[in-house]
Amino acid sequence: MWLPLLGLILGIGLGILTDIQIPAIYENYLSIAVLAALDTMFGGIRAQLQQVYDDKVFISGFFFNIVLAAGLAFLGVHIGVDLYLAAIFAFGVRLFQNIAVIRRILLTKLEERRIKTSEKSAESR
Amino acid sequence: MTKRKYLHITLISFVIGLMLAVQYNTVKNPADVRDTRDIWEIRQELSEEKKRHSELLTSIRGLNDVVNKYEDAEFNNPEILLRDTVDDLQRQAGLLPVEGPGLTLTIKPSQELMLYGYQVEAVPPELLFRLVNDIFRHSGQYIEIDGQRLLHTTAIRDINGRTTINSVPISNSNVEVKIIMPSIELAKKLYNHLLASSFMDEFYLDNLELNINEVENRINIAESNTTLTNTYLVEKNKGD
Repeated sequence: MWLPLLGLILGIGLGILTDIQIPAIYENYLSIAVLAALDTMFGGIRAQLQQVYDDKVFISGFFFNIVLAAGLAFLGVHIGVDLYLAAIFAFGVRLFQNIAVIRRILLTKLEERRIKTSEKSAESR
Repeated sequence: MTKRKYLHITLISFVIGLMLAVQYNTVKNPADVRDTRDIWEIRQELSEEKKRHSELLTSIRGLNDVVNKYEDAEFNNPEILLRDTVDDLQRQAGLLPVEGPGLTLTIKPSQELMLYGYQVEAVPPELLFRLVNDIFRHSGQYIEIDGQRLLHTTAIRDINGRTTINSVPISNSNVEVKIIMPSIELAKKLYNHLLASSFMDEFYLDNLELNINEVENRINIAESNTTLTNTYLVEKNKGD
């Protein structure tokens, strides 16, 4: 459970300490890629909680979403339509939905646990 | 299986973290904008700043003079000095007539175009703006256009097709512009500048002829006849 968090912290630490910067023109692509990655990660957490997690779907989704988003942004720049907005919109909506589902599942679990403990204490009495 | 799963998730969260950090770095410290000016452009900017510097120094010196006068006159008669300052301020506000070295300009409809039947039209306000701004930029002190003294609150604008100054329409045919300068040298400088500038051509585009008259030692500008409205200041009774 703590391993992914450790990975995240390690990544952030490495990135900040090495002070890597990308050229300003590629900033848009990176921001969309970050959004896509966050979307995939929350999707993965949701799938795990719903017990439908699939390793292949997760990994392929991660890379495919990033490439698709960056590709859309690239295409948008070249045909003069702000297509990256489409990616931001789609990922943003999905991010919120995923987080909402995760919250609900966690709340239900918490409720179940509470009921269980109260039942146990009632039995022991 | 679960071990591999965790490894994958860890790897991906590592990549996400890295991307976040890189994005943060990029947004936080944008790359320095390169200075691509050459030495000449820098010199030009420097000269602009120098000009402002000397203007500031001149005004500081003027204020210092006033301070010195006050200090000298402290024991003699401060009232005279106060009166002087008040007069000076009233002159600046257009309440008193002023005189000094300067020059006059006349704006007339172009003779040869009138012969061909061109209509005489009002002097466009945009041209007057530019002229007035240019004069003030060359340290003009007081300006009067067609009997209307320019104050800080003066508006030059078009009202129903007529050019007005202080909301008073100016005449179409013979407009006299009086300019008072701080010194005769500056007046000569302005005269030369106006002669060399493109103003004559600009006026000619509007079928007008701009004549720049020679520098004179004494030019009189009457006080402004517009009443100054004043919302916030209240006059105290004398002796209070």
